[in-house]
Amino acid sequence: MTLAVESWRTELASLVGESRLVTEPEACAALAADGKVPNCVVYPPTAKQVAAVLRYAAEHDLAIIPCRNGTKLSTGNPPRRYDLALSLKDLNHVWHYEPADLTISVEPGMKLGDFQHFVGRDRLWLPLDPRGGVRASIGGIIAANAAGPLRQGFGGPRDMVLGLKIATTDGKIVKTGGRVVKNVAGYDLIKLLIGSYGTLGVIVEANFKLYPKPAERVTFTVRVGTLAIARELRRSILSSPLDALRLVLLDSTAIVLTRGTAKANEQKDAEVWVEVGGSRRVIERCERDLGQLGRGIGAPLGRLEVREAEAAWDHISNLSAWLEGVYPDVIVLKAALPIAAGEEFLSHAQQQAEGERIPAASFAQVGVGIVHFCLLQEKLIPGLEGLISRTRKAAVDLGGTLLIEHCPTQLKGRLDVWGTPGDDFEAMHKMKSAWDPKGILVPGRFVGGL
Amino acid sequence: MKSTGFFRELARIVGEEGVLWRPEDLMLYEYDALSSVRQPDAVVFPRTTEQVVQIVKVATRHNQPVVARGAGTGLSGGSVATEGGVVLGFSRMKQILEIDLENQRARVQPGVVNLDLTLAVSDDGYYFAPDPSSQKACTIGGNVAENSGGPHTLVYGVTTNHVLALEVVLPDGEVIHTGAEHWDRPGYDLTGLFVGSEGTLGIITEVTVRLSRKPEAVKTLLAIYDRIVDATRTVAAITARGITPAALEMMDGFTLRAVEEATHAGYPMDCAAVLLIELEGLKEAVEEHADEVEAVCRENQAREVRRAKSAEERDLLWKGRKNAFGAIGRISPNYYVQDGVIPRTRLPEMLEFIGSIEKKYGLRIGNIFHAGDGNLHPLIMYDSRDSEQSARVLEAAKEIMGRCVEMGGSITGEHGVGREKINLMPLIFSDDDLEMMRRIKSLFNASGRLNPGKLLPTGKMCGELRVQAGAGGVL
Ligand SMILES: Cc1cc2nc3c(=O)[nH]c(=O)nc-3n(C[C@H](O)[C@H](O)[C@H](O)COP(=O)(O)OP(=O)(O)OC[C@H]3O[C@@H](n4cnc5c(N)ncnc54)[C@H](O)[C@@H]3O)c2cc1C
Repeated sequence: MTLAVESWRTELASLVGESRLVTEPEACAALAADGKVPNCVVYPPTAKQVAAVLRYAAEHDLAIIPCRNGTKLSTGNPPRRYDLALSLKDLNHVWHYEPADLTISVEPGMKLGDFQHFVGRDRLWLPLDPRGGVRASIGGIIAANAAGPLRQGFGGPRDMVLGLKIATTDGKIVKTGGRVVKNVAGYDLIKLLIGSYGTLGVIVEANFKLYPKPAERVTFTVRVGTLAIARELRRSILSSPLDALRLVLLDSTAIVLTRGTAKANEQKDAEVWVEVGGSRRVIERCERDLGQLGRGIGAPLGRLEVREAEAAWDHISNLSAWLEGVYPDVIVLKAALPIAAGEEFLSHAQQQAEGERIPAASFAQVGVGIVHFCLLQEKLIPGLEGLISRTRKAAVDLGGTLLIEHCPTQLKGRLDVWGTPGDDFEAMHKMKSAWDPKGILVPGRFVGGL
Repeated sequence: MKSTGFFRELARIVGEEGVLWRPEDLMLYEYDALSSVRQPDAVVFPRTTEQVVQIVKVATRHNQPVVARGAGTGLSGGSVATEGGVVLGFSRMKQILEIDLENQRARVQPGVVNLDLTLAVSDDGYYFAPDPSSQKACTIGGNVAENSGGPHTLVYGVTTNHVLALEVVLPDGEVIHTGAEHWDRPGYDLTGLFVGSEGTLGIITEVTVRLSRKPEAVKTLLAIYDRIVDATRTVAAITARGITPAALEMMDGFTLRAVEEATHAGYPMDCAAVLLIELEGLKEAVEEHADEVEAVCRENQAREVRRAKSAEERDLLWKGRKNAFGAIGRISPNYYVQDGVIPRTRLPEMLEFIGSIEKKYGLRIGNIFHAGDGNLHPLIMYDSRDSEQSARVLEAAKEIMGRCVEMGGSITGEHGVGREKINLMPLIFSDDDLEMMRRIKSLFNASGRLNPGKLLPTGKMCGELRVQAGAGGVL
């Protein structure tokens, strides 16, 4: 049943309270997705109300995108329709916090920065440095399966979430998993929700396992002249006993970008950055070993100042947002590859970009096979689809996939941002219909138009 | 008894020698490590995915249940054919298909024995991290289906954290490939759903796992206590120091004496409890942590803290731990293993509670825990010929489980729901939660012929353990 906008807005306002439904153009525009602006934004303050909004939307066929700050709204195909933004900003509580058990249960609107601050008192943390950095919300991190370079040392959200509560389109709140660190009761729906980009249900509570913070963390740098040398270094680090917390390969442009400037670099070499953590003795040991590995390839070992390192890692997390400010039409490609294929993919991608004379920067988590390749453009130029398709083909030929994580909307009509789904797509399709039979959640944005 | 036509069709797929259907041959397949129910009508041993597809299709035509079975070491009745039908035995699908060390992965058939995979890559310095105590027998397929854990999953994570991709045969015979050999494949994480689905959503015919690099240094400590409460307090105290050991196991004095008599591992015979603590990593980190852990143990009144001096000594300590169930089997005709989980800080309270249950029901309970992650395995000893005692066992078990749930825990940490705990599911899940799981099950297994009677309760029989005494020796 389709209703006039005014009447459903009035009914929704009565569900969440007048003041929690906002129609101001700026508020709506801030949560636009690919140019589509919602009719209004609702800010339900409780999980129950989230469920009520979902039920109402399903009954009246209103398309919803759940979000918080919109740090990840740029990812996905253009929505088929978009009536209402569901902001989880006010779902912001910590429900259970048991530092001695290393567990916590929080609401999805909490920002990662606040979360880290909260548990930091007990020298604990959630070792995630996702896209959006400290501004990313807990719900968004889970929905987007957002893990950054720290994945090297700790894995991603799927290794840290112990349980979820999910509001469904039939107005219920279902629970999966629990609050203890080990649990195999029932189907693991946690994994389904992680990386589902809000297309199945809305996460209204998440339980995490926490980690003790390393006593100290230090970032070492090694200059690498060629990708072949980078590969050799990656191999020797991964087969050494060292446990890197983060391990990235930055090209010379990327190195400059991590300092938060777009100034050209005199240095032409790429660098491998290795972050290690532990006691002073452990770090000294790592320094010795890395120094030796560096000498093996004829490169001296550098070390970033603590402040400098922190700022640089932050910049890497906030990359897309920051780049967008400088290069309005920036394109961020994320290749996910078998570990051994990282450097070869980079070589293909760099050749493609050079061929078209497009400046590029690459941030490669070489120990886990994730490469972010950014095409730095101020204005979208023609012919880019070809370049992206060829780069995608290189990733697929190497056994990986390529996601267009961030790009101007115009390009999305011509390229599927996710790539081609596999032979399990039918099962995914069924999964979507089981959770969201009316297709009101984030319609059309996800893989294969789900 | 099924028509001979049915058996002939199965034999056409896998050959005469690949099908068992005579009652005397089927006897071995009527139970797992928990319980015995009834014989399947046939056991079939495929060698390829295509054969699995064919078998599933024949079973569909004859409207027969299909139950996958690895080594049958499951402790929740997962691989028993509650409604008869075809058991798919994976003992002929045990090839390691590919080992790719640079990409830190291996692709295996589901019948590969857990330890065999580790042995295959051990010389190169790698291993498969999930290490259930049954690892000499249990299969990777069974590990995936149960999302199994093990002593060392405390720091490295359970099976699901080490599985990248699956090949699955769905009940209608369709073959799908989930996940990828790399991280972050876009789409729903169906791999994550299939892991731990206990053979009720699909049959796993190939698994791509992550391999881990062996640590540079390992130190194994044995902390010996005169009071059980001191041992349990130590567990939380270690965590509070910011140290996560690779393994942190606890055994009480009673269990320990049984283990020592069976394995001569060198455990003390006169103590109340021990903690077996293992630290792994860089040499420097391990040394520092070992000293700190030792100090914490002493602060918590450990009578003695020993360090394994050699690899042999370490292996012996682990042999004792890993054979603990067997050791109990030597001294009690039957035992019932529970698998509840609680927040680790509640261990002292829980042990006291179990002690009170022992008294209340007049039963002997051995305590053996994956203490570091709060996963309890109380072993309730009994004699299945004594039906009155068996009934008391179930009552006691139910109370312990209820307490775990009250403490905010779970009814199963690693052994799975199976048929044993289906009626405990309502203790932790609401009708809505269960309804969602049913909906998901019906997407894949609408007819319910794939492993019927497992994981999800059918009606509302809240809090009833449903384990029957059987020939298997255990309940
Ligand atoms: C002495 C002893 C110690 C144990 N220690 C531990 C421990 O430390 N940690 C732990 O987690 N468990 C432990 N277990 C339990 C058990 O060993 C594990 O659950 C193991 O993973 C089961 O593997 P299996 O090959 O024996 O599977 P089975 O018992 O044969 O089957 C288990 C379940 O998996 C399903 N299944 C098997 N293969 C497939 C397949 N290919 N596709 C789909 N479904 C399949 C079956 O249908 C069944 O539901 C222990 C058991 C014993 C007897």
